[in-house]
Amino acid sequence: MPSWSDFQPFLVTGLSLGGVYALSGVGMVVLFRATGVLNLAFGAVGAMGALIAWQLINKSGTNEWLAFLVCIVFAGVITLAYGMVFGPALAGREPLVKAVATLGLTLVLLGIMDLLWTSSGGASRSIQLPTDSNTFMIGSVQVSLTNVIALVFGLVLTLITGAFLRYTKLGTAMRAMANDREITATLGVPVRRVEATAWFGCGILSGVAGLLLADLVALDATTLTFLVISALAATLIARLRSITVTFFAAVVIGVVNAMITPIQSLTNYRDMTPFVLAVAALLLLSRKREIAVGRQGI
Amino acid sequence: MTSAGVRTNARPAWLSQTREPRTLIRLAVIVVLLLFVLLALPSMLSLYYVDAMIQVAVYTVVALGLGILVGRVGLVSLGQAAVLAIGAWVSARLLFATSLSFPIVLLASGLVTMVLGTLVGLPALRMRGLYLALITLMLAGAITVVLSTTNFPNGGHGFLGYNGGNVHVPPIRRPSIAATDQAFFRYTVVVSILMFFLVLAHVRGRPGRAWASIRQSESAALAAGINTTLYKLWALALAAFITGVAGGLLAGGQRYLYSIDFVTQDSIILLAVVLMGGAYSMWGAIIAGLLYKFLPALLNNWGVSSDWLTILFGIGVLQALTTAPAGIVDQFPKDMARLGRRLRGLVKRRPPARGEAG
Repeated sequence: MPSWSDFQPFLVTGLSLGGVYALSGVGMVVLFRATGVLNLAFGAVGAMGALIAWQLINKSGTNEWLAFLVCIVFAGVITLAYGMVFGPALAGREPLVKAVATLGLTLVLLGIMDLLWTSSGGASRSIQLPTDSNTFMIGSVQVSLTNVIALVFGLVLTLITGAFLRYTKLGTAMRAMANDREITATLGVPVRRVEATAWFGCGILSGVAGLLLADLVALDATTLTFLVISALAATLIARLRSITVTFFAAVVIGVVNAMITPIQSLTNYRDMTPFVLAVAALLLLSRKREIAVGRQGI
Repeated sequence: MTSAGVRTNARPAWLSQTREPRTLIRLAVIVVLLLFVLLALPSMLSLYYVDAMIQVAVYTVVALGLGILVGRVGLVSLGQAAVLAIGAWVSARLLFATSLSFPIVLLASGLVTMVLGTLVGLPALRMRGLYLALITLMLAGAITVVLSTTNFPNGGHGFLGYNGGNVHVPPIRRPSIAATDQAFFRYTVVVSILMFFLVLAHVRGRPGRAWASIRQSESAALAAGINTTLYKLWALALAAFITGVAGGLLAGGQRYLYSIDFVTQDSIILLAVVLMGGAYSMWGAIIAGLLYKFLPALLNNWGVSSDWLTILFGIGVLQALTTAPAGIVDQFPKDMARLGRRLRGLVKRRPPARGEAG
């Protein structure tokens, strides 16, 4: 059994990954509550943004910060465009259909990424955020500013989103739409505009998550696309409702996933963590026997 | 249109027998098609395409299973390729470890896969469909992780039966009556037909009616006394069973299995082709199989990157969900009929136009 000091560096990794999963999860939950769409293309959009940033920095010699900005804006715009075209077309359908439709966008983006940035031939890419070189020690563990940013950003975003939904007019409109889109529309809320904001916000977050994960994990289209699974597990544990639960679940998933690494017998299976935790949570939750019948809810 | 409707209404009861020749014709078409596929097709194709057609047959069965879930019951599984991988793993293990005859191995891997596939769906079944989709998507990711560690059996010892990468690796056994690729293709088609009959028996029977009512409205089904959890589980079990059998066929067809060939996105593409082909019809499964395995083989032969197909499938999903919910199998005849009408309209209009011009 490895000693505590073996675990310490992985605690740092886990917390920062958990922070990114949290901000992804919060983005997905807010979009889901506002529009009824579970954006499964979240990871793919972020991956494409990160690859574009890589292209700009390494091939065109663009300024790093500009490239990062392009990544985030691209992610926001592509998500918004999808929402504007397919949101209304599928507005009346079940959440399941809306979620599956975003898989269409995922496939399109995956195909484009594999075409433009082939992974064969051993071409490995990476993005280094400038904050990586800012390191300091906590005890005996080296921590980079990127690690801190990832966790703090996740935390701050959760708090801000919570306050936004609670205290602003737009946030109230979003919560109202989560309850009933039709009634909200009759009350004079500009439904389309509120939805557009939610889509754009979710897209921006996917760009940020894509950049951070490209730095913390790897810049690879498939890896980044399916890292969304960890965030999904968190949203699932929160039953697509509470952003607070999403935050904590995401951090737990990130930490457990990373902390298993030094344990010899489990290390190869550590990426199953989101699946195992989500199934366990579902089993516990479904003991309440909430029968899934009714107009609202999923 | 209206005249046809009137005619149907006016037709006396005894005349309704006239529908039968139509079924007969349809049956005859199916039989001729099957005979062609079984007898003529393998000798007409090169080995490359025979291999592709084996995979088409295998994935037709997988698509059929997913079609039951999506089309008949309204459950979406995003992990069906992972279930197939389980089936392939189990049968490869059995084929190396035992000298059981091939059909028994197929049956056994179907049953094992059925148990595993059902267990995974169990926690999500009490909740709405979105949860099942998410859980199965995570399953797809988890299975990829497990497979990359355990690898597929290749004649080694122990529970995993993995021998390391660089030693002499024996091929996976095939039945003695189907040793060549052509013969194995025929074998695969025959087993696939049996799977179609199995599904047909379910759809026509009590479970099929229960599924239809669950699809329409779960609350109404519940109120009508249908055990919705049981029948959903039944559908999951049936889909997993035939997918497990298909996994056995895949193992025998490929002869060498590598975990690197089973990736998470396969499950998503599988759902995409099922939606594109048409989830409500059994013909849709065949179209899905062709889209999924024949088209890439064709494009590969032409030197076109299969990434274009991924893009096409993505667009296909969006198109199917927004404008053609019943898929190509439903849309194509309609489009053809529309085209036919338009052509007929052109032909009818043309003679006077010519007369005017002349």
